[in-house]
Amino acid sequence: MTFTSWQFGIFVAVVFGLYYLPAFRALQVQLLVVASLFFYGYGQPELLPLLAVAVFGTYLFVVLALRNRSIWLPMGIAFNLALLAFFKYKFLFVDTTSPALVGESPIDFLLSLPLPIGISFFVFHNISLLVDLTKQKDAPSLASVFLYIIFFPQLVSGPITRAGLFIPQIGPKFLADVQYVDAAKWILTGYFFKLYVANNLNEMTSYMSFPLYETLQTQDRWLLVFLYSYQIYADFFGYSAIAIGLAVLFGYRLTINFDLPYISKSFSEFWTRWHISLSSWLRTYLYIPLGGNQKGITRTYLNLMIVMGLGGLWHGAGLSYLMWGVLHGFLLVIERPLLGRLQSIDSTVVRTAQMCFVFLCVTVLWIFFKLPHFDHAIGYLTGMFVPSTSPNPPKLFYNLALLYSLPVIIQHFAPRALFERRLRGAEPFLYGAMAALMYLEAGPETAFIYFQF
Amino acid sequence: MQMVTVQWFVKCGLTTAVLLLACGFATARFGHGLQMPSTTTRDGSLITLNRYAKEPIPDVVLVGSSLTFRLKEEYFATTKLRNLALAGGSPVTGLEIVANQPRLPKIVLVETNVLSRATDNVLVEKYSWRGNAEPLFFRPVRTVVASYENWLHAPVTHAQAFSAHARLLKQPPSDFDNHVYVDRAVQQSNTEDPTVATQINVQRIEQLILALEQRGARVLLFQLPLSKELENARSIKIARDIVHARFPESDRWLTINVSRSELRWADGVHLDERSAFIVVQSIDRAVSLLL
Repeated sequence: MTFTSWQFGIFVAVVFGLYYLPAFRALQVQLLVVASLFFYGYGQPELLPLLAVAVFGTYLFVVLALRNRSIWLPMGIAFNLALLAFFKYKFLFVDTTSPALVGESPIDFLLSLPLPIGISFFVFHNISLLVDLTKQKDAPSLASVFLYIIFFPQLVSGPITRAGLFIPQIGPKFLADVQYVDAAKWILTGYFFKLYVANNLNEMTSYMSFPLYETLQTQDRWLLVFLYSYQIYADFFGYSAIAIGLAVLFGYRLTINFDLPYISKSFSEFWTRWHISLSSWLRTYLYIPLGGNQKGITRTYLNLMIVMGLGGLWHGAGLSYLMWGVLHGFLLVIERPLLGRLQSIDSTVVRTAQMCFVFLCVTVLWIFFKLPHFDHAIGYLTGMFVPSTSPNPPKLFYNLALLYSLPVIIQHFAPRALFERRLRGAEPFLYGAMAALMYLEAGPETAFIYFQF
Repeated sequence: MQMVTVQWFVKCGLTTAVLLLACGFATARFGHGLQMPSTTTRDGSLITLNRYAKEPIPDVVLVGSSLTFRLKEEYFATTKLRNLALAGGSPVTGLEIVANQPRLPKIVLVETNVLSRATDNVLVEKYSWRGNAEPLFFRPVRTVVASYENWLHAPVTHAQAFSAHARLLKQPPSDFDNHVYVDRAVQQSNTEDPTVATQINVQRIEQLILALEQRGARVLLFQLPLSKELENARSIKIARDIVHARFPESDRWLTINVSRSELRWADGVHLDERSAFIVVQSIDRAVSLLL
């Protein structure tokens, strides 16, 4: 069940209605757990047992780690990483479409299971749960653990909210406390960015696929990379905004996932603005335990490369994802000694140049996301620097590209004060116009890009 | 719920409603005549299908894949002709749509080079009954762009377009080196086995031909010329053998008489503009004898 389907709308309405009935007040957590299981099992019921194994297994390790943290915490983390590794990286070693894999039916069954939607996200939730909660004395209830891991707005693609931030929020919720306007603003913004921006741009960036991209003119290759940059932002920001808005409806606050990433003036700043919940997670549970920046310059650089490389592989088992992560790590390493000097220069021109450079690099590296087959990505990239020989290039409408990208550009570059003060009175009209436009001008239905991770 | 919250939702809802109403009114008043810009080749096909569903039934209709999609309507001297070929689609999709209309063209030409693709049931459903294809609301952003593009590039008449393309014939065939594209197309064709899909499609084409001819239309099959290397590729040969075995009668086929030395396939598969125009001339000649 996707966020953009009518079935999902009905699902949310029914769950919302039941959730705030006085009769269900004592069972709100259980109701959300059942609803989340329904949501997850709607498309892939065969994967529900896997979700149960992940949750029950993690809960067991939490209980054991409360008795002996030094032994059971690493075991719990290893259990979750093994789950992730098996389901995400088995495709590197076995052809899962083959009728007989190893000849043992239970193993064949496991090997032939598809990639469980959201596994990368709920495994990271599990690890956060193990690390954060085992520092305390009491184990949370099983229902709380279940809700934290499988809460439907964040189950499939995050935000990866830390257990220490989510579990304390669990408690009775009342209809009178719901922040309706806040929820509506998040949800409308999310759907608008997904339906109007991302889905329309997706039509154009479909020309970036192999072998279609070989028909493109050189300048159109460049244009499409920038459009994809806007698309992936609109798609993932849209998803995150919908998730945050839905959580508000049920009385929960999820982590903000994006903060205008394309105005970043450095790569380190970019990672504090893009997919914030993942970068925070990696910093808390990987970079700092590796030693962070406390063990000398060389070790800091190595840690950055390891974290970014693994961050790339977290997205998928492929050379393109690894390359994307490693190159980001490389950029972080290169800029680190220059950061202080650049930040000390008080010049609008320099700041603008920094912003443009970071945006350009980040945008070009998205090619490895769009084309997970490494040879295709390199082919596309190479074609951006040589004249096109295509005899019959497709016609792209630049004005249409601009109009579909405009919301991302306005969001990033319009002065905040304009919206927060002068246009505050016009806010409901603006959201109403967005609602109309996302219905009238919605692009063809496509899955959220981050669903594949 | 607080009054401020209620007011917020009322303003938001009213704005949405007013904009939808305005767009609905504008669509009913002005919207249907405007040619929308297509961002993909599928969009281009949809424009043609929209026109087919709205305008008077033509004398001749072509259905096919992206190979036939390249035979632009403005290349044809036959004016009452529509090309319903779908880039990336199956000829059966177009044939189903034509067969589901209450009135039929005199002649339906069915390309049979690519028969391994499944019918697009969504398109068939959408365009099968005349009058159902009109949207309630047009897309405002695309409408603005369409108006601008139409203002910038005023549409040429059929005669102007035809004479412009006729000038192409005075030029020599392209000397573009396409061997990379041909090799890739052949490699892809050699790895595919279209037998099952082609058999299903050929059977459906046979049923549709029977239905169309019982209602008075004439249906002819044709195969567009491909490069020599691709003609001999595995999946192309399999498809050709299956369709010729099912339709062995020579009068079921529209013969395309062209000099192959004049034809070029710039991307390895599709005819380039000049070659498409040459092929169209041959089809024009054959069709004029049948009308």
